[in-house]
Amino acid sequence: MNAEFKLFNISKRYGQREVLNIDNLEIGGGRIYCILGPNGAGKTTLFRIMSLLTLNDTGKIHVLGEEVTWQKNQVVRLRRKMAMVTQTSFMFEGSVYYNVAYGLRVRNTPAAEERKTVNESLELLGMMDFINQPARNLSGGERQKVAIARALAVKPRVLFLDEPTSNIDPASALDIERYIQYINKEMGTTIIMVTHNLFQARRLSEEIFFMWEGKIIEKGESEELFEHAQDKRTRSFIKGEIVF
Amino acid sequence: MDVIWQGIKEGFLLIIAMDPELVQITLLSIQVSVSALLLAAIMGIPLGTVLALKEFPGRKTLLNITYTFMGLPPVLAGLLVFLFLSTSGPLGYFQLMFTPTAMITAQVLLGFPIVCGLTARAVMAQPQEVFDTAATLGATRRQASWVIIRESRMGIIAALTTALGRLIAEVGAVMMVGGNIKGETRVLTTSIVLETRMGNDSSALAIGMVLLLIAFLIMLLILSLEKRTFKDERRIQIV
Ligand SMILES: Nc1ncnc2c1ncn2[C@@H]1O[C@H](COP(=O)(O)OP(=O)(O)O)[C@@H](O)[C@H]1O
Ligand SMILES: [Mg+2]
Repeated sequence: MNAEFKLFNISKRYGQREVLNIDNLEIGGGRIYCILGPNGAGKTTLFRIMSLLTLNDTGKIHVLGEEVTWQKNQVVRLRRKMAMVTQTSFMFEGSVYYNVAYGLRVRNTPAAEERKTVNESLELLGMMDFINQPARNLSGGERQKVAIARALAVKPRVLFLDEPTSNIDPASALDIERYIQYINKEMGTTIIMVTHNLFQARRLSEEIFFMWEGKIIEKGESEELFEHAQDKRTRSFIKGEIVF
Repeated sequence: MDVIWQGIKEGFLLIIAMDPELVQITLLSIQVSVSALLLAAIMGIPLGTVLALKEFPGRKTLLNITYTFMGLPPVLAGLLVFLFLSTSGPLGYFQLMFTPTAMITAQVLLGFPIVCGLTARAVMAQPQEVFDTAATLGATRRQASWVIIRESRMGIIAALTTALGRLIAEVGAVMMVGGNIKGETRVLTTSIVLETRMGNDSSALAIGMVLLLIAFLIMLLILSLEKRTFKDERRIQIV
């Protein structure tokens, strides 16, 4: 496996509380990963550290074969190979077009190519009708779709999706799962996503991580983990005995 | 009551007749205050952004000083500039006292903290998500800062409006360092003071009307600017 991320002894505290503690993690290689776990388990924090949005307190992280030194140019260069749909799908003030074009503009993409890529991305998510709408006026689900289109537009090598279908109706969510699989297969994009939907995790992922109080308590091939979870917290979660 | 009616009548006549002296005074008022606003904006917007976004020792103190100076009394601004520019002051050599330059300088002193402080407030009010979203889409720090300023533009326009309103209406600073010299440094507010002192109450009132008219025109300009910028803005609906 050609892991895009290697984490060694990564930890993060907020005040007195340690919210993340991961001793060893390799992740990447064009697969689809799902991260499961209750609220506050540290999933978003892990995403933020891997996408270089938050500094880890201890440990080392390698991204795409480079040790992260937090030198300004390196951070931007590495960030430009990834994209993230954040949990809130924040939209900039402005049209849907402006939002989807943003990642292309910061890369100085020529105007014609920009337009073409924005159209393609919105087309893929079925959001073409909204192209000139003010993005802030969209509904939660529509915003998530635009956020996904916006992330896809930059053709990332790694795509982080933080609960990307939490506000999306089941039919559209299935569509989105299909796009996720499509870009994973067609472009070889590594997908790392957080979801609270067990069925979605099972349908999509090749590998699953289960997080609990800042730690990865179980990881493994998707089917294997669903059938033979080792940790009893994971087992009861999978059986539906605990509902988050 | 007579004085008021007389003033209003005179005011209309003055405006309609485009009295050359009044036109000159009006244009100078606008020139001084708009120049001061532009200079205050050129320095205040970037500095306010830096105060809001950059972490450095003394940042809090600088912010508090800025907030305090937002309430700087115009006469005090005038006095400070006077001390620097008067013949015995450190910059006395340039003989800038009683010129529009001195008036602009004093008004920059008044406008700058307002633009800077309110810009900092507007930028600090932005959520972390603005930066996060820009960064995950590949923005450099500079590009991300731009988008944060862009998101703050409603607040920044409010800062500029507030500052201009203060500058065009103040009398203390321009009186102190301009001296109300006819044809040279006389502006609308100082004319009002002069006319009132000379007992020409209705003339004073007439000039006051011109001042109000200017305020109205500036507001129209800003409103149309806002309409263009915020045509999509969702307003809070109270039903
Ligand atoms: N900026 C922050 N400041 C303080 N506490 C935080 C911050 N971000 C996250 N936390 C805390 O860290 C824990 C993990 O958060 P998060 O990674 O967002 O969890 P998850 O995404 O798994 O729900 C939570 O208890 C949260 O309250
Ligand atoms: Mg989260």
